[in-house]
Amino acid sequence: MIAAIENIGRFTLDTSLSLRNTLTFAIQVIIRLLNLRTYNSASRMVFINQFYFTSVQILPLFLFVAVIFGSLVNGMAFQVIKNLGLYDYLGRLLMGFVVTEVAPFVTVLLIALRSSSAINAEIAVMKVNRELNMLDTFNIDPINYLFVPRIINGMLSMVLLSSLFSLVVLAIGLFVSSAVFGTSVDAYNDTVLQAASLLDIVIVLFKCATFGFFITLIPIRLGLSASMELTSIPVVVLGGMVKVFLSIVVIEVLSLIIRFI
Amino acid sequence: MQSFIAAHKSRLGLVSLEAPLIANLAVWSNIALIRQYHENMPWHEARAFTEALLHRLGMASIMDKRNPALTSEERFCAMLLRASLVRDAIVVFDKPFGILTNLRDGCFIMENLRKLDDLIAETHIFDYNWEKERYGGWDGTES
Amino acid sequence: MVQKVEFKVGLFIIVATLLIMASIGYVAYKKGFFSKVYTYTLSSNTAENLTEGMPVVFWGFNIGQVSSMELTERGVLIHIKIPERNNRVIRANSKFVLDKPLFGTSRIIVTTDNLNDPPLSPKVFPEITVSNDINELIKKVQPIAEKLDRIGASVATLTANLADPQGEVTRILKNVETVTAHFSKKESLLEMAVGTKESVKSIQDILSNVNGLTVRMDGILKRVDTLAGKSDEEIYGRDGVFPLVRNILRDLLAKLAKIDATLDNINQISVEAVDSTKDLKILRNSLDETVTAIGTLVDQLDRIIPFQDKPGIKLP
Repeated sequence: MIAAIENIGRFTLDTSLSLRNTLTFAIQVIIRLLNLRTYNSASRMVFINQFYFTSVQILPLFLFVAVIFGSLVNGMAFQVIKNLGLYDYLGRLLMGFVVTEVAPFVTVLLIALRSSSAINAEIAVMKVNRELNMLDTFNIDPINYLFVPRIINGMLSMVLLSSLFSLVVLAIGLFVSSAVFGTSVDAYNDTVLQAASLLDIVIVLFKCATFGFFITLIPIRLGLSASMELTSIPVVVLGGMVKVFLSIVVIEVLSLIIRFI
Repeated sequence: MQSFIAAHKSRLGLVSLEAPLIANLAVWSNIALIRQYHENMPWHEARAFTEALLHRLGMASIMDKRNPALTSEERFCAMLLRASLVRDAIVVFDKPFGILTNLRDGCFIMENLRKLDDLIAETHIFDYNWEKERYGGWDGTES
Repeated sequence: MVQKVEFKVGLFIIVATLLIMASIGYVAYKKGFFSKVYTYTLSSNTAENLTEGMPVVFWGFNIGQVSSMELTERGVLIHIKIPERNNRVIRANSKFVLDKPLFGTSRIIVTTDNLNDPPLSPKVFPEITVSNDINELIKKVQPIAEKLDRIGASVATLTANLADPQGEVTRILKNVETVTAHFSKKESLLEMAVGTKESVKSIQDILSNVNGLTVRMDGILKRVDTLAGKSDEEIYGRDGVFPLVRNILRDLLAKLAKIDATLDNINQISVEAVDSTKDLKILRNSLDETVTAIGTLVDQLDRIIPFQDKPGIKLP
């Protein structure tokens, strides 16, 4: 009984400490993000390479997923809408559900699965190989050189890829809408535009950027917590990915609360 | 050695197994990193500069190789070049024969140091006493 | 290699950013973000149900929105913003109605009788009138609800009657069963045939009782008749109250028809029983009356029920 209570207490303390460390690290990174002196030729190169691996290389697969997903979601949803006679809600479905919820979620999952895990392992390996020590020896700040470019890449990739996903789904929506309802381009545009709100778009873009920030920040922080042993790498990658998914859920919930307040 | 490193940290160019090359970067990126980071040198300029230096050491072929693909001499040269790119570099060798495991004497080190003479302000070698003979008639304090 | 990567990254960022900017720009343009906006001021004696951002609607189209509100000495002033392309519908004679639908958000509906009238002066503050869907709906619903209430009470009476073992319908059935039971007994028939007064009187009593009960049943069904067209599945459905009553009455009719046939037979076989002939005639007349009365009721029910072939739930 006492052991169980101790376990709960330990878990709570560990969680709050981890949360505090993550937030402290996040504040540190944000301060550097806003400092122009952070940016130099070396960090630009890291950013370009990271962005290439995160967004450009994944683009064909990503567009393929967007097309398949868009066709399925649009096909099913439009059929239901048609059966219920709720054509007026078509725009709200597309803008309020697909663009603001589904697109960021699918994108964040894809990026987290591909890039967050890679960043987590990469930082852990650098720590074990003493490459981070080397940076310190040569007066190279790892936050400026390694972390900030990766985090900017995460934020930008999320915003761009999620927006592309939305555009692809909306474009497919036009085809499906004309096939199911026989609507014209203008009618479809009007329906979608009526449901579109600039504030919602801003909130979605901000949500995407927040997703991107945390799905790169958390793997970096967990990667840094690796010990000098190779065996610690899988452990920190595992922990990092679990925390990445938790952060996705938390951000999703918070964004929903903000939208519906 | 630690106190020496701490005292000269701003100009320190360390050649040591404790300061390895970054494994997922090409040799030229590892070397150019110093100028790119500290002097914001554009990448193409830094690459050309690095290429010229590698030519000077006769190692142009390793430009795009990565750390695991290098021989011990190539790795040593890359580390030396990286250290010498620090402004007014105080190059510190930490047990260089730990890197150059198959060399019998310090001629190779000396030869490369001469080729980079214009870039280096000072050179310090820290090694075990029993390795002293491998450096021949070099002057130096014991540590 | 680096150059190639740089090119691809640059191209992707430029194309994606342009696409996104174009989309957002298009939405902003269509929403009138870049067009000239006219501001008009409306007045109201209350700010209740008015919110900033509330849409202004003309012929079902959103033409603008409430930008701000302020409380002044002359009441509440509501500032609405109308983009230039929609400004032509705001005329001097335009009327502004605050519409509070039962479902969805409130909105200000603009009605303009003549679009060629001079434009509304920004110095004039037209008053907003209130159209409250909910209150109007409640007014409409109230009599319907009262009717429904009465229907409910009547249905409860009917169903209670059907379920109650002492109820009128049950008693009719019991009496009819007694009659048929009497007739099915050979002794009773023989007594009737020989003109035993007690037997004849017994049947006559039963039938007059049935007749009385049928009259009361008629009363119940008259009340039911007033509900026609206003009830639901429970009344008209396959297992509803009306079909049930109808079936009971049909059953009753069939049984009385059997009595009718029996009486005919008795008449034929007991021609010599002169004493009983008079009583049998009275009995026969009573039976005819009862059969006719119940038959009429069944017809009334049939007249009501066929209109409910497709029972549905009716919402106000």
